[in-house]
Amino acid sequence: MEENIKDEAAKDNYRQAPKTAVYVCHCGGNISDVVDVKKVAAEMARYPGVAVAREYAFMCSSNGQDLIIDDIKKLGVNRVVVAACSPSLHELTFRGVLQRAGINPYLYEHVNIREQVSWVHKADHEGATAKAVKLTQAGVEKVLRQDPLNAIRVAAEPRVAVIGGGAAGMKAALAAAGKGLEAVIIEKAPRLGGKLLELGKVYPSGEQASSVLKKFEDLVAAEKLITVHTGAEIDFVGGFVGNFKINFKKSDGGMAQIKAGAVIMATGFEHYKPHKGEFGFGEAANVVTLPDLITLLKNSPAGRLEYAGKEIKSLALIHCVGSRQIEGVNQPQADGKVNDYCSRVCCTSALYTANQVKEKYPAVQIYDIYRDIRTYGMRHEDYYEKASKDGVIFFRHAETDQPIVESARVAHTVKVKDVLTWNEELEIKADLLVLVTGMMPSDIKFLASQMKLAVGADRFLQEVHPKLRPVEAANSGIFIAGTAQAPMDLTETAAAAATAAAKAAILLAEPDIPLEPFVAVVDEAKCTGCGLCPAECSYEGALMMTEKNGKKLAQVNPALCKGCGACVAVCPVRAIDVAGWTLDQFDAMVDAIGKEG
Amino acid sequence: MIAGEKIEVDALVVGSGIAGLQAALDMADQGFSVAIVEKSPSIGGKMISLSKVFPTLDCASCITTPRMASVSHHPRIQAFTYSVVDGIKREGKTFTAAVTRKPRYVDEKECISCKRCEEVCPVCLPDEFEMGLGVKKTISIPFTNAIPQFPVMYPEHCIRCGACARVCPKDCIDFLQEPSPLEIKARAVILATGYETTPMTAKKQYGLGNLPNVLAPMAAERLLAPHGPYGRVLRPSDGKVPDSVAYVQCAGSRDKSIGVPYCSRVCCMYAIKQATLLTGSLPTADITIYYMDIRAFGKGYEQFYNNAKAMGISFVKAKVARVTEDAGHNPIVRIERQEGTSAPEEVKHDLVVLSQGLIPGCDVSSFHLGAELNDFGFVKLSDENISSAVTAGAGVFAAGVVKGPRDIPDSVVDAGSAAIEAANYIRKL
Repeated sequence: MEENIKDEAAKDNYRQAPKTAVYVCHCGGNISDVVDVKKVAAEMARYPGVAVAREYAFMCSSNGQDLIIDDIKKLGVNRVVVAACSPSLHELTFRGVLQRAGINPYLYEHVNIREQVSWVHKADHEGATAKAVKLTQAGVEKVLRQDPLNAIRVAAEPRVAVIGGGAAGMKAALAAAGKGLEAVIIEKAPRLGGKLLELGKVYPSGEQASSVLKKFEDLVAAEKLITVHTGAEIDFVGGFVGNFKINFKKSDGGMAQIKAGAVIMATGFEHYKPHKGEFGFGEAANVVTLPDLITLLKNSPAGRLEYAGKEIKSLALIHCVGSRQIEGVNQPQADGKVNDYCSRVCCTSALYTANQVKEKYPAVQIYDIYRDIRTYGMRHEDYYEKASKDGVIFFRHAETDQPIVESARVAHTVKVKDVLTWNEELEIKADLLVLVTGMMPSDIKFLASQMKLAVGADRFLQEVHPKLRPVEAANSGIFIAGTAQAPMDLTETAAAAATAAAKAAILLAEPDIPLEPFVAVVDEAKCTGCGLCPAECSYEGALMMTEKNGKKLAQVNPALCKGCGACVAVCPVRAIDVAGWTLDQFDAMVDAIGKEG
Repeated sequence: MIAGEKIEVDALVVGSGIAGLQAALDMADQGFSVAIVEKSPSIGGKMISLSKVFPTLDCASCITTPRMASVSHHPRIQAFTYSVVDGIKREGKTFTAAVTRKPRYVDEKECISCKRCEEVCPVCLPDEFEMGLGVKKTISIPFTNAIPQFPVMYPEHCIRCGACARVCPKDCIDFLQEPSPLEIKARAVILATGYETTPMTAKKQYGLGNLPNVLAPMAAERLLAPHGPYGRVLRPSDGKVPDSVAYVQCAGSRDKSIGVPYCSRVCCMYAIKQATLLTGSLPTADITIYYMDIRAFGKGYEQFYNNAKAMGISFVKAKVARVTEDAGHNPIVRIERQEGTSAPEEVKHDLVVLSQGLIPGCDVSSFHLGAELNDFGFVKLSDENISSAVTAGAGVFAAGVVKGPRDIPDSVVDAGSAAIEAANYIRKL
């Protein structure tokens, strides 16, 4: 919510008799192809307590929103129900509409008749329509018992903590500081740089990673608003949006605490480490990973590509090692899951490196064993073309026909069923085998559990929505930058990190931050001070016992309460309710749904 | 419309597709004032015309309309639609954009969007929003969820019958309306001019435009959209429900013969998405995707691809030589398989979609902003390792496909970075 809720308007509204409007959205057809929206609107128009009911193609469109505003202004509507998509998509949109029309934005109920009705009852139009009516009626009952609420406002620390000091972390800190925010980088390694410290030439610029790092370091050093802590070991992260606290052990052994209004997770990636025996890795000599080849290329003398003192005259690249894995074919990680995702950068990186090998050592024969070449970037296709022209020989295998490596003392034989030559099984002999390894997120189990961060099935940090809120964690005030979220290259990392900083800057643009008011509220008259509820509360400091006029009472800290309702469930005297989700509201909703006819 | 209107803002955003909308919101939410200039009569760009979007399969409208609404309601954003940027001049630290607001032939101050003019207009023309698969009136609101909801009249098609003017309750049809100039002064410029799909003139053998059942992907999007031209998937030549649909990948990308050697990044995924949606609307149809490499590289994309394979969509690694048709307008695709046998084959389908690539939507060099372009007309970054938005022109930033093809999630993220880079630049002025 952008503006403060006007208390006066809220009070006026509360005194008025409830006048509810119901809007049934077609969602362009997503709903109306299954649900008879006209019938739902007609049924709702007859329902007690409903002043007006309408249906419209897209309630979330400007026209749809204007319908609501018109009814509020002209008909004196003071409570609104929209039956549409999931509230996670548009509840905030419609609360904003109420606010613009001058009524309390929480006198609103969003009923989901898309995910919960039209999408799941495609074959039963009549049943779907009846269910939509029931759910919408329950929504009306809820909103009729809704009190106006005000967002809880908490003062925010005008500071961003950036966890991780690689390219993403430095970029995020620079972007935030550029906006005038203090930024604190907390990096566990002894110096800034992350993976930039290891990489060779980076595509597409051809610049050495060390030179990119130097630029970043210089920019960071020149920015007075940035503080850097390297060699820092985080041992506690607590607090909430606007008021995070991060405790860490400094490189000198002393302890320090950072207070920050927002946290940017820039914890980066690790290269996939092949299992022992995966394509001969760890067992046969001369089986290395792509990062190893990059190092090799940096350190080999001119005229002779060397590994372990021996000249390499031929090498074979095997793509998708640790990426695009298939259950039952590839060995899972410790958590039992295979890496079924594409690591995005490895195809380009492998071909870019192959071209560098060819440039420096034109006589080295290179074989490239792949499934799909994914050189998607603007100039990346050129690397593929150059490699083909320079004599890199490509072999393509089907996903289930993995290449088989047989290692002798001197060289390796890779057997590939090559679909490009009519599925012939070909044998490739190479002095060096290079496994093109993918990306895995850095091990952040500790931070994820401290901060209660959502992690996807791919183990990377999970954003709220890839298009609506692509760099936000579900926990308010925490943003994700770079490869902590998914594999990406350097430019993409710069984009993601800058955007994470933009979102942090937007959050901290005002000195205080509005929080949702759906928190536990204690009815002091009913509370017997039995003390059962604090034991149930999982959020430290959110619910405590206190004394008032000699009476023991439960007391809620609204800034810390998440409104989970655990305390409500254990209260023997119904003295606690979650605002906006009271037991009375639930009772009425269940009654409405359970009612015959 | 006021002649010679002048405004001053912090940032000028050119283009209002998803990248422009997001960049404008991310600027305005940081406290800056923004003007958007959009050449189409509505904001929303290409995304608003899509059906559902990968990898989450949200309906495109559900994601775009709230952004459009936020932009139109934002106290710090002004959006000028149906307006073109004629040129931008830099004087010291200020940009001055000369903009022409094209006439809608409707008085925007008076119009109440009642659509009566549209109802009575007797002249129909192909609706470009429906990719020509539907019709619209010569005076009409561009599409259901357009913003603003003002009708536009196309004088070249109008027969001057006056029906619209007679029925208009606000007397706001103005046949004599003239283009009006607008001057926008801004401290930073964000280019978000998006894309067009690759023209297929250099690839006539694929039949687009000549064979009725060979479709552009944007037309297929409209067929799949819940509120599309037919309300269901039918093929254009005869309204038949197709039993066999084929996608030709890289039809306009990775192809030097048409001047687009680069990968367009989105075509594999939109084809897989459309194919996935088709399995819902045409449960018994065979769906084939002819491809070179499947590039499902984004977050969750490989899994999306795997799901499509599991749903029975067939992926055939083959190069398509040409598309012809038989007497019943059934497209015949001549392919050379790149796995298994390699003898050319001809395969008959009911409907063929050409997965066209992306080219720049606008020649931004005409703005003379100092932003350098690459060989293909996309904006170059000044240092792509350090920033994904800063161009060689001071105060000029780029968001989205103007820098090269990218999908919606990448464009949304990208827009945020353009907004913070622009904000940082303004702060240091």
